[in-house]
Amino acid sequence: MNTLIDRREALRKTALLMGAAVSASTVSAFLYGCKSTPELNYKPVFFSEDQARLISEVAEIILPKTDTPGAIEVGVPNFIDTMVKDCYNEEDQKKFLDGLAQFEEAAKRELGDSFIQSNAEKQLAFVKKVHEEAVNAAKVDSKLPRPFILKLKELTMLGYFVSEPGATKVLQYIAVPGAYHGCIPLAEAGNGKAWA
Amino acid sequence: MNLNVEAEKKNTYDAIVVGTGITGGWAAKELSEKGLKTLVLERGRDVKHPDYPTATLNPWELPNANMPTQEDLKKQGVQARTGYTIRQSSKHWFVNDLEHPYTETKRADWMRGYHVGGRSLTWGRQSYRWSDLDFEANLKDGIAVDWPVRYKEIEPWYDYVEKYIGVSGQVENYPALPDGKFLPPMDLNCVELELKKSLKEKFDRLLTIGRTAHATAPLPHTPWRGQCQFRDLCIRGCPFGGYFSSNSCTLPAAEKSNNMTLRPHSAVYEIIYDEQKGKATGVKVIDSETGEQLEFYAKVIFLCASTFASTYIMLNSISKRFPNGFGNDSGELGCNIMDHHLGVGASGQVEGMEDKYYSGRRANGFYIPRYQNIGKDKRDYLRGFGYQGGGSRQGWGRAVAELAIGADLKDYVSHPGKWSIGMGGFGEILPVHSNRMTINHNKKDKNGLSVIDFDAEYKENEYKMRKDMANDAAEMLEAAGVKNVTKRDRVDGPGIGIHEMGTARMGRDPKTSVLNKYNQVHACKNVFVTDGSFMTSASCVNPSLTYMAFTARACDFAVSELKKQNL
Repeated sequence: MNTLIDRREALRKTALLMGAAVSASTVSAFLYGCKSTPELNYKPVFFSEDQARLISEVAEIILPKTDTPGAIEVGVPNFIDTMVKDCYNEEDQKKFLDGLAQFEEAAKRELGDSFIQSNAEKQLAFVKKVHEEAVNAAKVDSKLPRPFILKLKELTMLGYFVSEPGATKVLQYIAVPGAYHGCIPLAEAGNGKAWA
Repeated sequence: MNLNVEAEKKNTYDAIVVGTGITGGWAAKELSEKGLKTLVLERGRDVKHPDYPTATLNPWELPNANMPTQEDLKKQGVQARTGYTIRQSSKHWFVNDLEHPYTETKRADWMRGYHVGGRSLTWGRQSYRWSDLDFEANLKDGIAVDWPVRYKEIEPWYDYVEKYIGVSGQVENYPALPDGKFLPPMDLNCVELELKKSLKEKFDRLLTIGRTAHATAPLPHTPWRGQCQFRDLCIRGCPFGGYFSSNSCTLPAAEKSNNMTLRPHSAVYEIIYDEQKGKATGVKVIDSETGEQLEFYAKVIFLCASTFASTYIMLNSISKRFPNGFGNDSGELGCNIMDHHLGVGASGQVEGMEDKYYSGRRANGFYIPRYQNIGKDKRDYLRGFGYQGGGSRQGWGRAVAELAIGADLKDYVSHPGKWSIGMGGFGEILPVHSNRMTINHNKKDKNGLSVIDFDAEYKENEYKMRKDMANDAAEMLEAAGVKNVTKRDRVDGPGIGIHEMGTARMGRDPKTSVLNKYNQVHACKNVFVTDGSFMTSASCVNPSLTYMAFTARACDFAVSELKKQNL
């Protein structure tokens, strides 16, 4: 039977064999089935690297890679960094950062570990839960200030659907339509998908 | 001495046109085609058709998802008040508010761009004729002064400009909204057709497709223009020439006459008045690039700088004869500011028809012409309003506050959402003397010129009307079976309709008006003012077509008067 002690010992040995010291957090990640720190595919300007990792992970959960590209592949995390930096005023930036911090703390309480170190299943379950609560609360009272998760969802969708893959592969887009047909069968409206 | 005479000769033309927007372009074309050597002065930079920098960019080629940055809003915070003007794709067509400020004793929204073509590049393109319901309104209501013209006199000029610019629309035989010389109408979509039917059956009201200055058929007289491509990117400038602008239409025509000289970066700030001759002899200009002060001379001057800008030039032109502003014997110059009040209406969702859709991006909507205070329909206010609106199927934005997430979300938004439909009113504002602009000498713009101060507000008649504008919209939608109907009413400053009018009104009596029926300054016959400042009342329809008709008519009159040596 593989006990905790056995695994810890095994890891130490592996690390020694590899000639490297293993940090406590890495040990802990292996021990509790967590994943390593995710890679960032851009250099954040507004967010810290850890904040940017969290945003990347959540964005990819909101719009994952399927038969069409996911949020990370089309550059949504970079887009969000730029939007919050350039287009948000100071007050909204602060609200966004506060919301992000609260999201992280709630994740830690719920998952027993930081969001970015948690495994994909736990991340997904947590995002779904937070998202569902936010959507349901908004349905009860639509005048509530938009919670962090829905702001992030909106930014993710915005960045995704103005991107070329989002506009042309998930939705449909024609740069120069040339004509307008006001009332036609859905099947005859291009490929029948929603227009970008 | 000789040098001055030489310089004066070099700077002398038959006609000067101030401004290159909708009316300046028309004056440039008409005067130069009629053989006058015409100098056209534009305060901003040159813009040549079809060089519009963002016109063909795809959504992914624009930074910040086309939204304004905080930096943009610092420079163009006033211009951003519309919510749609300051975007990455269109901000270059609007002024820097820090360089071109104005002051607000009361809030006023003055949206404008300083470049060749002016707001003809960014206008809404909706083009409606006035009727005698409008021209007779002041007389019947005992408001302000009577219009010195009636529909019959303007009708041929509407015909003339419509044929030239190309207006797409549907003939309807509706007396309050005379039909024009239309190019083929654009389609209404599925939900709009349903609403049209319901309005006819339940209210006996008309819904028609918007009449818009888009070429929906070839225009052989301007072969350099193409047809509307249904991109709905009009505000960026259209490289196809699909809609009417000075740049795509009237200025190239003027250039072909070989009689036009166009001078950008030329901010006119004063009319030169010769006390002996009792005539205007020219204009004073600041070159907005070099700061150099220049003078230009002509036999006839057309002010087409836009309502507030032309009125500013007149208020700023002080002489012995005109101590209170050029042509201002009546004391009405700068007064009677009007616009259309809007931002009020209703919208909702339509169940069903999910197997139906549309293709192409129609830069147009439906129009419900004024029906209030006509026949038996009596209201507790004067005049009335029309509605502009549209139907569509919801896009991805609907899903932000819905449960779908992940692969489900992608799938969900790849299908068009429910149909929705909405409309907003465009209401007539009454001319009121106390709604006015003056020159504020305590603040200067980047050229060192004093700025405009606005002191205007909506009055009781407008606020009463707004209640109906929201309620009628909701009632009509609900009667058509539209669900979740919500009303909206957002009051902004006068000017937010970007239909400012009235500050140099025309009238029969020089004691109570600035211009006569030919847009000619009562007290100085060789100066004409043909932008929105001449408007004696506002109607509720979009005004540009009427400005164009009056401009073409005034040019015709001016040239015939010149020939008779009456100017």
